Amino acid sequence: MQFFFEALIGGLLSGVMYSLVALGFVLIYKASGVFNFAQGAMVFFAALTVVGFVGKGVPLPIAIVLAFGAMVLLGLATERFVLRKLVGQPPISLFMATIGLTFFIEGLAPMLWGDAVQPIELGIQDEPIPWLLERFDIVVSRFDLVASGIAAALVVVLAIFFQKTRIGRALRAVADDHQAALSIGIPLERIWAIVWAVAGFVALVAGLLWGSRNGVQFALTFTALKALPVLVLGGFDSVAGAIVGGLIIGASEKLAEIYLPPLMQAGFGGNFGGIEGWFPYVLALLFLLVRPEGLFGERHIDRV
Amino acid sequence: MLYREAGQFKASFAEDMQIFPIRQDRIAIGLLLAFAFFGIPLFASEYWFSAILIPFLIFALAALGLNILTGYCGQLSLGTAAFMAVGAYAAYNFQLRVEGIPILVSFVLAGFTAAAVGVLFGLPSLRIKGFYLAVATLAAQFFIVWVLTKFPWLSNNSSSGVISAQKIQILGFSFDTPVSKYLLVLGIVVVMALAAKNLARSGTGRAWMAVRDMDVAAQVIGIPLMHTKLTAFAVSSFYCGVAGALYAFCYLGSVEPDGFNLDLSFRILFMVIIGGVGTVLGSFLGAAFILLLPIFLDNTLLPTAHALGLPFSNATVSHIQFMVFGALIMFFLIVEPHGLARLWQITKEKLRLWPFPH
Amino acid sequence: MTMRLNELQQVGDAVAETAGRKIGDVILSLEHISLAFGGVKALTDISFDVREGEIRAIIGPNGAGKSSMLNVINGVYHPQEGRIVFHGRERRAMEPHKAARQGIARTFQNIALFKGMSVLDNLMTGRVTKMHHGLFAHMLGFGPGRREELAHRQKVEEVIDFLEIQHIRKTPVGRLPYGLQKRVELGRALAAEPSLLLLDEPMAGMNVEEKEDMCRFILDVNDQMGTTIVLIEHDMGVVMDISDRVVVLDYGKKIGDGVPAEVKANPDVIKAYLGAGH
Repeated sequence: MQFFFEALIGGLLSGVMYSLVALGFVLIYKASGVFNFAQGAMVFFAALTVVGFVGKGVPLPIAIVLAFGAMVLLGLATERFVLRKLVGQPPISLFMATIGLTFFIEGLAPMLWGDAVQPIELGIQDEPIPWLLERFDIVVSRFDLVASGIAAALVVVLAIFFQKTRIGRALRAVADDHQAALSIGIPLERIWAIVWAVAGFVALVAGLLWGSRNGVQFALTFTALKALPVLVLGGFDSVAGAIVGGLIIGASEKLAEIYLPPLMQAGFGGNFGGIEGWFPYVLALLFLLVRPEGLFGERHIDRV
Repeated sequence: MLYREAGQFKASFAEDMQIFPIRQDRIAIGLLLAFAFFGIPLFASEYWFSAILIPFLIFALAALGLNILTGYCGQLSLGTAAFMAVGAYAAYNFQLRVEGIPILVSFVLAGFTAAAVGVLFGLPSLRIKGFYLAVATLAAQFFIVWVLTKFPWLSNNSSSGVISAQKIQILGFSFDTPVSKYLLVLGIVVVMALAAKNLARSGTGRAWMAVRDMDVAAQVIGIPLMHTKLTAFAVSSFYCGVAGALYAFCYLGSVEPDGFNLDLSFRILFMVIIGGVGTVLGSFLGAAFILLLPIFLDNTLLPTAHALGLPFSNATVSHIQFMVFGALIMFFLIVEPHGLARLWQITKEKLRLWPFPH
Repeated sequence: MTMRLNELQQVGDAVAETAGRKIGDVILSLEHISLAFGGVKALTDISFDVREGEIRAIIGPNGAGKSSMLNVINGVYHPQEGRIVFHGRERRAMEPHKAARQGIARTFQNIALFKGMSVLDNLMTGRVTKMHHGLFAHMLGFGPGRREELAHRQKVEEVIDFLEIQHIRKTPVGRLPYGLQKRVELGRALAAEPSLLLLDEPMAGMNVEEKEDMCRFILDVNDQMGTTIVLIEHDMGVVMDISDRVVVLDYGKKIGDGVPAEVKANPDVIKAYLGAGH
């Protein structure tokens, strides 16, 4: 039983990280209707940029600030040179353009900073929390806990930012109807710039946390890809959905990885590890059949 | 001056509805096919067959498959490579387990197997669209590759799922040289491309395009959405399945599930976008472009860099490849969303009027 | 209320007969239709019928539920309450493509053509309910599938001649001006040889000449092909001129039904159109 809890807690904690990446998607989707497939690549780019600066002798905090600057630049450039030229195209074209962007970033990042696996040292120990170990005999990594604490805090701050501030309201107005937002004097371009900057910041945080856990490497983009099923589960336009979806995906994939292989082994023989690789996607797919708009997404009525 | 349709009057609807209505096009296609079947084998080298021509044809077939689904029916898929994998492994298993089965029958059955799997993963398309569907097809991508890796029966108990394709024999003739494999692949691809072209200009193709352009209106006209989308998934996966079988049997010889990864799916998607969404011709142009670009970059970047004294490694070249691919995709989507096929069409229209501008 | 409606209908029949038109029995009747989206009521307890060969107009202010009414008739929306009887067969929830197969065709308020296809292909698509060959016949490029295609091309060409759009046959519809697109959309509906044609604001956004053309086509369709037509239109002059009977909706309720003259004199209708203050 405590094994179950360990897995569950571990899963939930990594789920928070998925939420974080998913949140970047949701931000951009809400404000511009663009489904930014490149969010995962942005995580990779951010982490690699930090590592790159540190490797050049820049102190970590300054490297983070510089990386943030780079993310903002990247976001602005994307908005200015790609998305703005595609205004009015079908959403699927925009989506494919962000796949192109993904490839571009995945080439650019190692081109600038090299492609060796590199560690980030944030100074948080990856060791069991003694109190939980003694009291309940459960192994929960301090790093995981701190990391998800940071992620959770960021999620809360963004949620408040979205709901309460003037910019947040403007963002929501833009998401509802570009034309209408423009007509009441909301500066569309500035709003988009802000959104891409925020999405870049979220990617940076996610990249730092994940990078310091598993090393900064190309595989990061695959982990980030898992934010997609999270979105499907939660609904593309819901901050709450991104959070809950992340937790569900994180927990369920861990449990599936632990409990399914023995069952399958009993049935078919052989070794069935690696279920984590597809489980979130299949779960999302099955979920779609039941509730196509996601847990918190808005149901749309086709008007004709 | 040569490309004119003036004087080619069409006296019946049958003439107007031919597969290539303009005489010059018919002649050009005929010459091209004759060249491909009889000309190329005379002088192309072994390298050309096995490194360029055979993969070009196979990728074009896979791109055609994806184009049927995405270009004609408007359903985006990110799992093309997985359906190719199904085809490759199905063909292998039919050859392995059914005594004396002709190889071509295996290929067809491989196509049908892929079609069945495609329909299964196409089911969600009845309720979801756009990016949601794209995410659902990712499930196919990861799940299928995993299944092929983990169930030893599928690869006849080989380690990590590697299979070696059996020898190809048709009517006692062995297809073991690059030329013979090329001719086999060419034959299959030509037949399937013509079939696709016929489908595209028939009721089936129109139903697909109607669903793509406006699904509610399509339904109101009397097009059953479910049937139409699932046929697109089935035909598309059939094409990808056969392409996968050829990929294993005529191109690589031995394949592993991981070879059919997300990267391959993306590459085929890029062929469709750059070649031209919703055209048969575009699949071929896109395949040629995506296949030749890396070779071109390899052959130009390194020497240039060396000449300039820049520290370029092979890794750098591959990074540049990524960037160029990505940039090209964005470029095409912005500048010419209908891809190379549209550019070709514009050229033809210009040619028709040449030397006058209008 | 019911008493008065019956009277109105009798008047309507009388007028139609005097005009010498062939108006037959009721082919479509809607009984107590109610439709809601979530909590929003779009249609409340609406009943009316359509007779064979007539031109039936649905009018009403914006948001009165006119388009929803058409959507109910051809199965895009499924009403929560009520009965729809078409050609003597009752149905409640029906998929739109099955409605099409029963002979109901329609056009849309915002043109819903297939933008990536040529005019000819759009019209050929309109004949989908009449074509029977499948995938494998189509793949061949010769044989029965091809022959069917040719036979239907013949039919489509008749529609093209009728609507005078020969010159734009091969043009992608996305490149056509608005007025022509509307005409092509009518053509696509006609290609299906429907027994009931639903037109959602066929003249919206047109200039006077285009409107006149469209009016002529609608009347010709009704006259020469005997097609029953239900149309939504805002231009009162047009409605009064071409329709045999008119239904008036307001806020999802029926407030008038009868021949144009009768409806024009209905105080409820005047109130709805001019506002309570007048």
